[in-house]
Amino acid sequence: MDAAAAPIATRPAQTGRVARIEAAVPWVVLAAAAVALPLFDDSYAGVIAQRACIYWILCAGLNLVVGYAGQIAIGWVALLTLGAYTTAVLTAGTVMEPWHPYIALVASGVMGAAFGFIIGLPALRLRTFYFAMTTLGFSTIVTQVALAWKSVTGGGIGTPGPVFPWPFEPGWGFYYFCLLLAALATWMTANIASSRFGRGLVAIRDAEVAAEASGVAKGRLLMTVFLFSGALAGVAGGLFSSLQSYITPDAFTFDLSVLFFIAILIGGRGSILGPLLGTIILTVLPEFAAPLVAWSTFLYAALLLVIVLAIPGGIADLLDYKNRRPLEQHREIVTRPELLSRILKRQDGGGALELRGIELHFGGVRAIDGLDLEVRSGEVHGLIGPNGSGKTTALNVISGYYRPQAGQARLDGETLPFLEPHTRAGQRIARTFQTPRLIGGASVLENVMIGGTVEGRCSFTEAMLSLPRHHRDEAHLHEAAMTALATVGLEGLAAVRADRLQHSELRFMEIARALMVRPAFLLLDEPAAGLSAEEIRRLGALIKAISRSGTGVLLVEHHADLIFDICDRVTVLNLGKVLAAGTPAEIRAHREVVSAYLGA
Amino acid sequence: MLESILSYGLAIGAVYALIGITYNVMFTASRVFSFTAGMLGMVGGVLGAWFITRLGLPVIVGFVLVLACGALIGVVTEIVTVRPVLKGIEQHLYVLSTLAFALMVQQFVAIEWGTEAQPFPRLLPIEDGWVDQQFVLPILACILTVVGLEVLYRHTLIGRAFRAIAEDSYAARALGLPEQRLRTASFALAGMIGTLAGFTGAMMLLAYFGNQAILSFYGFVPVALGGMGSHRGAVVGGLALGLFQQAANFLVGGIFAAVAVFVVFIIVLLLRPEGLAGAATARRV
Amino acid sequence: MSIKRREVLAGSAAVGAVALTSGLAAPAIAQNEPIKIGYLPALTGPSSSTGIGINRGTLMGVEMINASGGVNGRKIELIVRDTQSDPTKAVNAVAELTQRQKVAVIWGPLNSGEALAATPLIARDKVPMLHPCWVDSLINVQKYPMAFRNAPTNQQIGAAANHYVVDVLKLKKVAVISDTTGYGTASVEAYVPMLKAKGAEVVYSGHVDAANPDLKPELLRMRNAGAQAIMPWSVNAGFLSRILNTRGNMEWDVPVVGQTTLGSGQTKALLEKPEYWNKVYSNNFKKVCFGKDGKLPPAAEEFVARLRKEKVEMGDTLLWWIALGWDGSRMMAETFKAAGSKAGDIVGYWNKLKAWPGVYGTITFTPEQHNGFPDDEVVMCEVNSLKDGAFNLAPGYSS
Repeated sequence: MDAAAAPIATRPAQTGRVARIEAAVPWVVLAAAAVALPLFDDSYAGVIAQRACIYWILCAGLNLVVGYAGQIAIGWVALLTLGAYTTAVLTAGTVMEPWHPYIALVASGVMGAAFGFIIGLPALRLRTFYFAMTTLGFSTIVTQVALAWKSVTGGGIGTPGPVFPWPFEPGWGFYYFCLLLAALATWMTANIASSRFGRGLVAIRDAEVAAEASGVAKGRLLMTVFLFSGALAGVAGGLFSSLQSYITPDAFTFDLSVLFFIAILIGGRGSILGPLLGTIILTVLPEFAAPLVAWSTFLYAALLLVIVLAIPGGIADLLDYKNRRPLEQHREIVTRPELLSRILKRQDGGGALELRGIELHFGGVRAIDGLDLEVRSGEVHGLIGPNGSGKTTALNVISGYYRPQAGQARLDGETLPFLEPHTRAGQRIARTFQTPRLIGGASVLENVMIGGTVEGRCSFTEAMLSLPRHHRDEAHLHEAAMTALATVGLEGLAAVRADRLQHSELRFMEIARALMVRPAFLLLDEPAAGLSAEEIRRLGALIKAISRSGTGVLLVEHHADLIFDICDRVTVLNLGKVLAAGTPAEIRAHREVVSAYLGA
Repeated sequence: MLESILSYGLAIGAVYALIGITYNVMFTASRVFSFTAGMLGMVGGVLGAWFITRLGLPVIVGFVLVLACGALIGVVTEIVTVRPVLKGIEQHLYVLSTLAFALMVQQFVAIEWGTEAQPFPRLLPIEDGWVDQQFVLPILACILTVVGLEVLYRHTLIGRAFRAIAEDSYAARALGLPEQRLRTASFALAGMIGTLAGFTGAMMLLAYFGNQAILSFYGFVPVALGGMGSHRGAVVGGLALGLFQQAANFLVGGIFAAVAVFVVFIIVLLLRPEGLAGAATARRV
Repeated sequence: MSIKRREVLAGSAAVGAVALTSGLAAPAIAQNEPIKIGYLPALTGPSSSTGIGINRGTLMGVEMINASGGVNGRKIELIVRDTQSDPTKAVNAVAELTQRQKVAVIWGPLNSGEALAATPLIARDKVPMLHPCWVDSLINVQKYPMAFRNAPTNQQIGAAANHYVVDVLKLKKVAVISDTTGYGTASVEAYVPMLKAKGAEVVYSGHVDAANPDLKPELLRMRNAGAQAIMPWSVNAGFLSRILNTRGNMEWDVPVVGQTTLGSGQTKALLEKPEYWNKVYSNNFKKVCFGKDGKLPPAAEEFVARLRKEKVEMGDTLLWWIALGWDGSRMMAETFKAAGSKAGDIVGYWNKLKAWPGVYGTITFTPEQHNGFPDDEVVMCEVNSLKDGAFNLAPGYSS
């Protein structure tokens, strides 16, 4: 039987179904409780529930920004304010003919999206703390403008909120409206979260460098998410103005921003259910303990501190029993190079990846001082040299993270642009890293699926609305990732959280991720570091098989045996310059190489 | 009008500059941006009012006690919110832990001290003639702090140790410098500078919890403009901010002054994220 | 399934069930059940000074009534929900008070910001409401038929201040300034046209953030425009004290005529020099001011004596706030006694209330007029005559 056609274990599919049913249980319980609430005929509970729904609509969007993308946006109440005033002013008729509440609500969504985009722009260029500060400043500005622009917002006096018509009139009707929109928001954000966009966000948060190498376009993705989250926040604001029946600027306090932010962190980053529970808890809690009301913000802050110090993963972590099951102790990585034909398309040779005349310095340090390098398809090209000789830097130049002061990188004769590392995946150039870059909180499978980002066809909207193309994408990516994992021998660990893996397994996981790009050229940065002898042997066989499929491999390594075993050609660097280049036999005998690096 | 812009602008600018220096001192020692700088300023004013007005202590005693409390809060900040986070994998969580701690202190002050601004006593028993002590004291404090830090960094062993840790912590540790203790010491120093800022500025700002938000943001702007870690940049940025804010107050009125400051802040940051005097970030791959 | 997860789910379902079913039991109103008053003060948060003052009077009133046997044998139960100066908490609290606690009447909110949000909701729930907030739009017989106000309106307050400046002090050029709260901005919006209608010239009119530590630019603008009087409208002691301090530092000798908080102990504490409190006149109410004979009206005298006996703190607040709280609780108690605790009866009783003798004010309602405070009882007082929270009538003032 052809080894390449052998089926990969079917167990994951079975546990998949059970896992899906288990995952659905909390949602069913929540939905049932929410729909049944009016039966208890307690309008006070109704008001609190409406508030929870409204806050959740905003938090569902903010969850993508804070929980998934990891942006510290602590001034989000500004968008609630904008949405609330937009709806209220448009329906009050002070500035123009009164609009219908539903249309005003849509307008709020648009306003929210626009300002979400504006708030998000600094996130692309600024460090975390700076961005946090700008969101703070922005929320103060919005409140002050609301106060100052008396003719439109009513200034300090405020303006009445809209009353929605039947069947969503104030009371239980409006409750169902909020519940409906909250459910919609949950569904859409959950769809995004489980799509390549959600995975891309988490990748940007935890392993930005690897995300870029896999083709995740950070700028576009972040701005799309800010747009979407802003829209949700705007709609939440419109609903808020109706719940309050009358809005004044002093309703939009910094305490609210803190509440939203903390709800997400308590719930846990990278989860939908966790922040939902967090939002419900933080909305309902003050109502249970009247004397605690004055201390509520203090308690929220204390809770945040405890979470950050003790349970950074939040509620979601506590509920994640799956990842507390112990793993098999002595795991073996059994690579299956024969599966490569399913992943890599056979290529005809003739292509080349080259560096010509690269010069790169950081301040006074000359990292690369005139480098010419050529990797041909179908060959394994070793790159060796002492520490600090510029090997990893050379890889980084090819990847596009740096712009050298002189020189060019070319793929099949076409120049590769520098400082655009996210375009490399589209050019079918993939790489691994000296220290494994992983998303600790995601599963191994999800980590590998990141590699397939550029293969995705569906748009953000299609993912959000769970349209067929999104499902086709996901099925395809899932299958490809499982194949890649089987190739490197890790398919048994597909569902395990990546941060539970051993070091050597992480190295192979990176290779699987790189294979997802279907690379024409693969750059490996010390993949054998920390591996056992047997693992190195299997790694060597795998790399050889990859090159035989037509992929050109550039291998940076310190393990001389591995280099001389599998490389077709070797280049030696020293102090940023090429010391020698040729076949392994030539290099092994080269006097200067021996004295500078190899030793007798 | 011009003299009011100058005197008030420079004085409040000096307070902002000192808070900026507080941010910087914490940053250079640990690569951590802590949200507690504004909190320290607020606490400086509140504690000063409590010691001197409520408890009736002499001004000098109150002043020393305030600085001591500032150092204590700085040390607690380091131990509780920074050290445990730096040990873990998710390093940037310190932003959240320091934010949480700063919020806790702010709410505590709001509840125990009250939400109304309380008067801050006149510190020097001299008659105010031409120059008002509420303006002179912050500027004086700023000058003394900057000079003191220069002396510390250049002429004392511990100051040079701070600089070593800031420039290259690996090498410093390899040389045997106790990075942990130095970090704690620098947070204590930052605590003292922050409370000094709040103490000298409280005659203008009064003493209450609301100052924390103001100082956190306006104390950060000098850091953003001047470049993180640069004390001189913080001073120039702070004074410029104070003057700009006052001028805007006069010309366009309070609300739009805040908007103006924010817009300038954003524009500068987007054009030069590392600040006008800062260095570009190093290798990240 | 691991045990932990099952427990978590079961636990959350249980919590949910308890929370919901506790709303199921609607208390039957038996003869000896206490009468519930829903009370919405702002005891914490930025605008709490009014609430704290009124609260003292309210609590004292309710205690006294309960101590002497209650109303027809039933005790009065004050159900307090601190709104924390936050309209969102006020909205939540209104729902709880009207729906779950099923209170007979709501006293408050005591701040305009929260009242603006709460009033439509209380009206929707058809519960009678008595409040002392000044914003004019809060009382509207068509929109809120069950809402009544036992304090003056902004119109009345402004009219009294404007009358003093223009007709008594005979000044023509006026500067009007407020903070940026709802109350402040609404006041300026209303008073500036009223001043102009009286023939005065408004040379400066502006709003400043109360947290702004430097008011010199604004006062310089006023002086440059030739203002002869400053009229500030804010309940923020910090803001008002800064105006007085700046005026003093500039050595600018103009009268300051405005909001009652100008005369509060908190404002006084924030002054740099005691003489900065001279030539400051604030709104006050005839029945709690020292007359030309240096004595309070008899009802107020008696009240102050009672406060001293109960050792209620007066020095850091205003007498009329405490008196207002006292009057509020007593009026509600008398209403229950005379009309019972049903909504329609309460409203009917109030619609016919004539010259009810409060310590703070003489309240009269009609079916068309739910603003109960009489025009002629709004006066100006001289703030530096503060003694036990009360003041002398302002000079030249002939009521």
